[in-house]
Amino acid sequence: MKHAINNQINQMKWRYFRQSAFFGLLRASALIITLALGGIIFYILYNGLSVISWEFISKPPTHSMTKGGIMPAILGTIYLTVGAISIGLPLGVASAIYLTEYAKQGKMIRFIKVGINCLAGVPSVVFGLFGLAFFVILFKFGSSILAGSLTLGFLILPTIIGASEEALKSVPQTFREASLALGVSKWQTIYRIVLPNALPGILTGSILGIGRAAGETAPIMFTAAAYFTAKLPGSIFDEVMALPYHIYVLATAGTNIEATRPIQYGTVLVLVAVVLGINLIAILIRGYMRRHKRW
Amino acid sequence: MDANVIISLNNVNFYYGQNRALTDITMNFRKNKVTALIGPSGCGKSTLLRLLNRMNDLIDDTRVEGDIIYEGKNIYSPDIDPVEIRKKIGMVFQKPNPFPKTIYNNIAYGPKLTASNTGDINMLVEQTLKQAVLWDEVKDILNQSAMKLSGGQQQRLCIARALAMKPDILLMDEPTSALDPISTAKIEELIEELKKDYTIIIVTHNMQQAARISDETAFFYLGNLIEYNKTEKIFTKPDVKQTEDYITGRFG
Ligand SMILES: Nc1ncnc2c1ncn2[C@@H]1O[C@H](COP(=O)(O)OP(=O)(O)OP(=O)(O)O)[C@@H](O)[C@H]1O
Ligand SMILES: [Mg+2]
Repeated sequence: MKHAINNQINQMKWRYFRQSAFFGLLRASALIITLALGGIIFYILYNGLSVISWEFISKPPTHSMTKGGIMPAILGTIYLTVGAISIGLPLGVASAIYLTEYAKQGKMIRFIKVGINCLAGVPSVVFGLFGLAFFVILFKFGSSILAGSLTLGFLILPTIIGASEEALKSVPQTFREASLALGVSKWQTIYRIVLPNALPGILTGSILGIGRAAGETAPIMFTAAAYFTAKLPGSIFDEVMALPYHIYVLATAGTNIEATRPIQYGTVLVLVAVVLGINLIAILIRGYMRRHKRW
Repeated sequence: MDANVIISLNNVNFYYGQNRALTDITMNFRKNKVTALIGPSGCGKSTLLRLLNRMNDLIDDTRVEGDIIYEGKNIYSPDIDPVEIRKKIGMVFQKPNPFPKTIYNNIAYGPKLTASNTGDINMLVEQTLKQAVLWDEVKDILNQSAMKLSGGQQQRLCIARALAMKPDILLMDEPTSALDPISTAKIEELIEELKKDYTIIIVTHNMQQAARISDETAFFYLGNLIEYNKTEKIFTKPDVKQTEDYITGRFG
């Protein structure tokens, strides 16, 4: 009897030990990630904060980009990101609606989905070359906001399609059935019931795409980004400066790389802030939608 | 066709892929009556119900043979729009499934979109909620989310939502199986009330319920219609032994 109880206690101890060991492991990995992120942000702040000033944000570069600000690059990145979203989001959501709601599930659809996944894995420089050949040269858009936005839009398309598909699938089938059973058409059902319920999920996934569009260098290198223009773009057919490309230029091909180090870090800091800012807007929109869903 | 018949099935077979779920069903549903469909799990009751408003169209790789005649036409003939059929043949599901919208918008949703009802929507909402005996409970919270109602209230809301389309026929698939006895009694009373204006076809696993509320009862087994007759007759002296065994719980 006593023996049996002891045995049981030992087993419990062992189970408890295993459990806490496992939790410890999970905690450690969470900690490592947080530390890495914190480290990166601290490093950028430490090196970049000193050059941040109103002047830096609101003035164009001067003295062959060794002095002055980065305002044209900030604006350019915002234009390109907004452009990429306005192209990628509608196209991606439309594709996802077709794939999940309309297309008859079968070989063809599986093939298309594999294709989309492959697209997500294509290096961004390939998108850049595609944009150069297709939008810049073939469509004669030249190196411009339009060509860059289209290229970035295509780059983030797989992310948005994937997120939208997941979001659409997570809308309960019973909602669709309830609507269709009333004699409401399929399109109305999707538009009035499925999409509104999927939208927060679609936005969540698209936030990843936004970050990517704002931060990529390779896709805009040949399609939109100018080495230097003090003049702001007048239309979508103009070139722009962009933050990631500006960092690349300063760090590799500037007139005086060492002298511009602080500016480089400052630009990185602004880029991170812009990406976070655009994400924040998306998160606010999502929160607003969730609150107004009245579940 | 008999004027009392609203919808009739002639030699209907139904297949999910290779599997036949309904075999050679021939039956007439009568107008302004409550018809109960009973039978063991998997015998094809829901399949038959969903066949009547073309909800099975939503499932890939299914096939229908035979005719289902409603208003003089086969509802599966190629020139018939399933959307039109569903406006006239409403459905209430096993699990209450209100939209994540306000109570008001749950009712107004269908009529607004289908333009079948261009009259006063406020009136319609009030009228259908009264019909579904829910008005007194929700009249002060019409702008609250329907998801906050109790299960029984939600189910009555779903009935009201279907009624707002002014259908001819109301299909109900085990509408009370997820509800407590009090809500169930309320819905049974409601069905009693509704049959004056509507034809009701209801699937149920509850024998007492079938006996209480239905005028006719159809017993299915393994995709076959075994017996179809007046409810009284089915529950007192059925013609087929299988029916009797099922009703008295001596099945299998
Ligand atoms: N979506 C589907 N795909 C394939 N087979 C199905 C599908 N739905 C039902 N079936 C099959 O068709 C047969 C009849 O199913 P149905 O749902 O009509 O039964 P039921 O009488 O409503 O049962 P229950 O009382 O459990 O609801 C079953 O054998 C079931 O496995
Ligand atoms: Mg069923």
